[in-house]
Amino acid sequence: MSGREAAGGAAPDTPGRAAADGMVLTCRDVSFSYEEARAPIPALRDVSFELGAGGSLALMGASGSGKSTLLQVVRGLDAPEAGAVLLDGAGLADARYGALQREVGLVFQAPELQLFAATARDDVAFGPRRLGWPEEQVTPAVDDALDLVGLPAARFAARHPYTLSGGEQRRLALAGVLAMRPRLLLLDEPFVSLDPSTRRQLAGILERLKAAGVTLLLATHDADLAWALCDELLVLREGRVVAAGAWDFSPAAGRLLAVNRLREPFLVDLWRRLGRDPQRAPRTAAEAAEALA
Amino acid sequence: MKATIAQYYPGDSLLHRLDPRAKFIAVSALAVALFVRDSFAGLVVYAAAAALAYALSGVPLVWFWRAFRPLLWLVALTFVAQVIFAPGEPFFSYGFVHLSWRGLELAAFLSLRLVVLVLVGSVLTLTTPSIALTDGLAWLGRPLRRLRVPTDELALMVTIALRFIPTLLVELDTIMRAQRARGADFRRGGLRERSRSLVPVLVPLFVLSFRRADELALAMEARCYRPGAARTRLHPLRAGWADAALLVATAAVIAAGLLV
Repeated sequence: MSGREAAGGAAPDTPGRAAADGMVLTCRDVSFSYEEARAPIPALRDVSFELGAGGSLALMGASGSGKSTLLQVVRGLDAPEAGAVLLDGAGLADARYGALQREVGLVFQAPELQLFAATARDDVAFGPRRLGWPEEQVTPAVDDALDLVGLPAARFAARHPYTLSGGEQRRLALAGVLAMRPRLLLLDEPFVSLDPSTRRQLAGILERLKAAGVTLLLATHDADLAWALCDELLVLREGRVVAAGAWDFSPAAGRLLAVNRLREPFLVDLWRRLGRDPQRAPRTAAEAAEALA
Repeated sequence: MKATIAQYYPGDSLLHRLDPRAKFIAVSALAVALFVRDSFAGLVVYAAAAALAYALSGVPLVWFWRAFRPLLWLVALTFVAQVIFAPGEPFFSYGFVHLSWRGLELAAFLSLRLVVLVLVGSVLTLTTPSIALTDGLAWLGRPLRRLRVPTDELALMVTIALRFIPTLLVELDTIMRAQRARGADFRRGGLRERSRSLVPVLVPLFVLSFRRADELALAMEARCYRPGAARTRLHPLRAGWADAALLVATAAVIAAGLLV
């Protein structure tokens, strides 16, 4: 398929994002194993869930539970051995599938390690150019993406990526994915090894994307950020879904989190200790302050 | 993506437990004998010994195939070149191609010799971890230290290089996936386009490698590594009766091959 065709749906003529154009993600009995010399190692087993348009799902589980694998399978970098990944209801056999895959953005773990171009602008423009967008569409897409991650083009576009700080590099790498205007954004541990202020910044960026209607799938170990950002939760254990859907803070759910080396969000714990309903715990400190005032 | 060159197959066979120095000497001697002896009978003796050693190692045969596959074209090329260009009374001629029984015989002999050579080498690398192998080589290279050759440092360099090949392959894979997720296509286009598409992969890989080398050097210094200082080993090499037996057996096989 030519790049121009792909650009058709992905790059609206107006700069900025139209609201509520998130993608629907459905996984049906997805299984995947890694080939090893002696025996294949199963990484995903019959994973099923649905994430609605503009929804946000926190993907949690101990290290090695299959979170990264699931993201890569959803992005089509690995083909599931069994089951299907549906984007807006379309499967692999559907003619639209290739174009839809290009509207799925995947931010890898430590994506700053993948920066390569001589300027921030060229690095961010890599994706849109690969998609074959005409240059007059690439430029505003890059400017928007740089703005969105707080690296305004006027100051940062000409900088060499390796002269930026660690936090700036992480945000630049995110801009490289956002410039392709994804309707479904997959993030693999985006908060790891960031300082508190950059974490807050990044959380703010994700809030804005969510408000703009982008569907978010966020793999993280950080219960507080997951609770603040995501409406739903999916817990993986050894490649199997052990909990899926709305957040649940019943005692049984608490034990489930503990078994999977996770903990409850701080504010939920606080609400329980205050004798209030943990199910109605605030998502952010600001909400908590308001509720307590 | 998998590196099959010099790959180690973890196991506990007799061959796994032998001293790497003994194994290295045995394999080197057998390799030399393979090239010195140019009769089918000798070759068959060496092939049988190599096959027996491989069977004793307990390594599945598919691992030999993996090591051998990249060399298949070399064997095929040797065979074809010998068949076409070897001297002898031709029974079939067409243009510059002259097929003779002598040529066919020579081609079969040289190809089989290559197969046996790879088999012998695989027995060594499949049953010996790379660290043991470099330790053994460093020990065998000791006399060179009188000539101020830094053999221990060279051995360490080789060990580190081998140690990081799998790591680099994993990183290469991750970077390629990340760029593919951003629309890169490494399979399409002509040679020029393809080599250009490697820039987004090689730049991060090199940056990462230099950074890692720097950190590794600092970490080694922090743990008191000093070049030239005498080292002690956690597992000192110890040769035993089994190793002596291996050398005697190898000598017997070589002699048998030379005499038949």
